Order: sequence, then C-alpha cells, then structure tokens
Amino acid sequence: MLTIVFRAVIIYAVVLCLYRLMGKRQLGEMQPFELVLTLIIADLATIPMAEVSVPVLHGIVPLLTLVVMHYFLTIFSKLSSKFSSFLSGKPVIVINPEGIDYKALKNLDISVDDVFEAIRGCGYFKIEQIQYAIMETNGKMSVLPKSSFAPVTVQDLNLQAEKSTIPITIISEGKINKDNLKNAKIDEMKVQEILKKAGVKKVKDVLLMTIDKAGTIYLQKFHEKYQTLQIKPLGQVQE
Amino acid sequence: MTKYGWIKLFSIFVLIGILVAVCVVEDRLVITSLDRVNRFCYEIESAVEKNGGIVNGEVASLVDNLEYQWEKDESSLCFMVNHKSIEQLAVEIVRLKTYIDEEEPIEFYVSLDIIKNYVETFQHFMGASFHNIL
Repeated sequence: MLTIVFRAVIIYAVVLCLYRLMGKRQLGEMQPFELVLTLIIADLATIPMAEVSVPVLHGIVPLLTLVVMHYFLTIFSKLSSKFSSFLSGKPVIVINPEGIDYKALKNLDISVDDVFEAIRGCGYFKIEQIQYAIMETNGKMSVLPKSSFAPVTVQDLNLQAEKSTIPITIISEGKINKDNLKNAKIDEMKVQEILKKAGVKKVKDVLLMTIDKAGTIYLQKFHEKYQTLQIKPLGQVQE
Repeated sequence: MTKYGWIKLFSIFVLIGILVAVCVVEDRLVITSLDRVNRFCYEIESAVEKNGGIVNGEVASLVDNLEYQWEKDESSLCFMVNHKSIEQLAVEIVRLKTYIDEEEPIEFYVSLDIIKNYVETFQHFMGASFHNIL
C-alpha cells in the first residue's frame, strides 16, 4: 500500500506540473485537441498509480510525450490559421439577423433545442432578441443581442460614472497580504491605524479587509457584520 | 518572446531531453541485461556438455552467477519495464537450480531453452519496430 501512496504522490506531482506547463486553458474552456489530451492524461495517470507491476515511468513517459506534442500543436496552430482551424474548427454563426441558420446547425450536428439551451445560458429567452449567436470552437455560445434588447450602459444614459477600481485584499482570514500592501501603496502602520479607527484590536480578528482606489474600505470581523470606512483616496492603488 | 515563453520553451526542451534519455537508457539496459543472460545460458550449455551432465560444480556455479546477475539487473529493469513481463526469467532461473538439485536434466534443458527463447523474443516484442508500434 505504501508503494501505491508514493506512486500516487509522484503521479499527482507530475500531472500538476504538466498542467501548470500547459497553461490555464486546460482548466477552463478547452479546444477539442485539449479535451482529448485531458482525457488521455486522466487515464494514463491512473494506470501506474494502482498497478504496482507497471513502472511509474510507463505513466510519466507518455504524459511527457503528450505535453511536448501539445506544445508543438499549440505553436503550429498559432503559426498557421489553417492548421488552427483544422485542429480546433472555426466559430460558426448559428443565428443571424434572418433567424436560425439551419444549414449551420446541421453542419455542427446540433438541434434547435441545443441552440435554445445555449442562448438561455447567455440570459436570452427569445430568438428575436438576438442579432447574432456564434458557436465558438470550445463549444460555448456567444450571443450578440439586438440593440433594443442590449443591457443599458452608463454611456447610453450619458451619465458620468466613477472610474471602476478593483478592491485589493489587505487582510484575509486574520493574515495581512504583504504583496497587496505594496500594490495598495500602504504600510502595516496605516493598516493598524485603520483597524484602530474601526474598533478592531488585532489583525487576527479580521475576516476580510479590502481597500479600493477611492479609499473605500470593506472590513469584516469573524462572526460579525461588515462595516465600510472611507479614507482619503489612495491615488496610487493598482487597478 | 516573454519570460514565461522562454521558461516554457526551456521546459519543453528539458522534457524532450528526458524522453530521449529514458528511451536510450531503457534500450541499453534491456539489451545489456538480456545479452548477459543469453551469454550465461550458452556458458551453462557448454559447461553441461563439457562435464557430461548437470550435476557438477561448474554448472551450479554458473547458474548461481546467472541468478545473482539477473537479480541485480532486474532491480534496474524494474524502473523501465513492466515487472510482470520479466518475472518469468527469474522463475526459470530458480527452476534451473531446483533441477540441478533434483538431477532432472530434461527439465533443466527445457528451462534453459525457455530462458534463451525469452531473451531472443523479448526484443522482438518490446523493441521499437514498426509492427510493435502498430
């Protein structure tokens, strides 16, 4: 059993490293060749893990081969759009201003119900609300609504909106994130000062503290309701 | 190319290097180990012929050496080759010893032939060739 434990650890570490090497796409929306790769990797990894007579190398070597192959396929598909479309296919317009393109549906081998399901997933329940719907190469549907059904934006209303900023996490679960302190261009002294102002004695009492460029602080202690504070705009907070 | 791109390229070349190294090491290890076993088999055969039977010190010593050498090689081969596909050799070597003790020359020759045949066919089944790939 101990052998299997160590084998599982080794295979896990190798597969983890390989996925890191292949990039984040493998974790989310995949192209067909990436999906194939993921399926094979899952299968290959389990064989030497459970079968003690099979050397771990018998699992690792094909994994490495696949990753090298994947790397070169990715490079070639970047270099040649023809190769890329051969490998991953092309996005296909399934709904155009004239309605559903039945020929495109037939080519994709999907039904009208599938199209409906996909557009509902994008938040639209009527075909007539849609100008274009495109089936992407990763199998997801992208929808462009007709302008009369598009969500209203601040620009449409001619309003002045404050610049959006991303809140930076300063304290998470009682621990100060020192990298984010640098990003927010504040120091621990300033954090202590803010906490004191909010009536918090120790950093470890804080569940979450974030700060944004406008100087708005979200502060929540463990098992307590959050509070917001306002300090001077930071100006130099990274967006 | 970005720093990440260079790191990735470097990693891929390292992986290619590892793959080539593993393939070469496996090939050399298998050929060397099986050649050694084959040589021992022919030495045992000639020792049996020379001494007119299997029950003598020279044959016993050669079989012991074969067993010792194979155990040594087997532990390295287990990193590269499926253990199940080479365990037959160890079994037959142990049988050789038993047949010497029990003075059974026919079974001894059968086991020796199995080992020789195994060594010769292993490359045929496991080596890199077109029909093995397909």
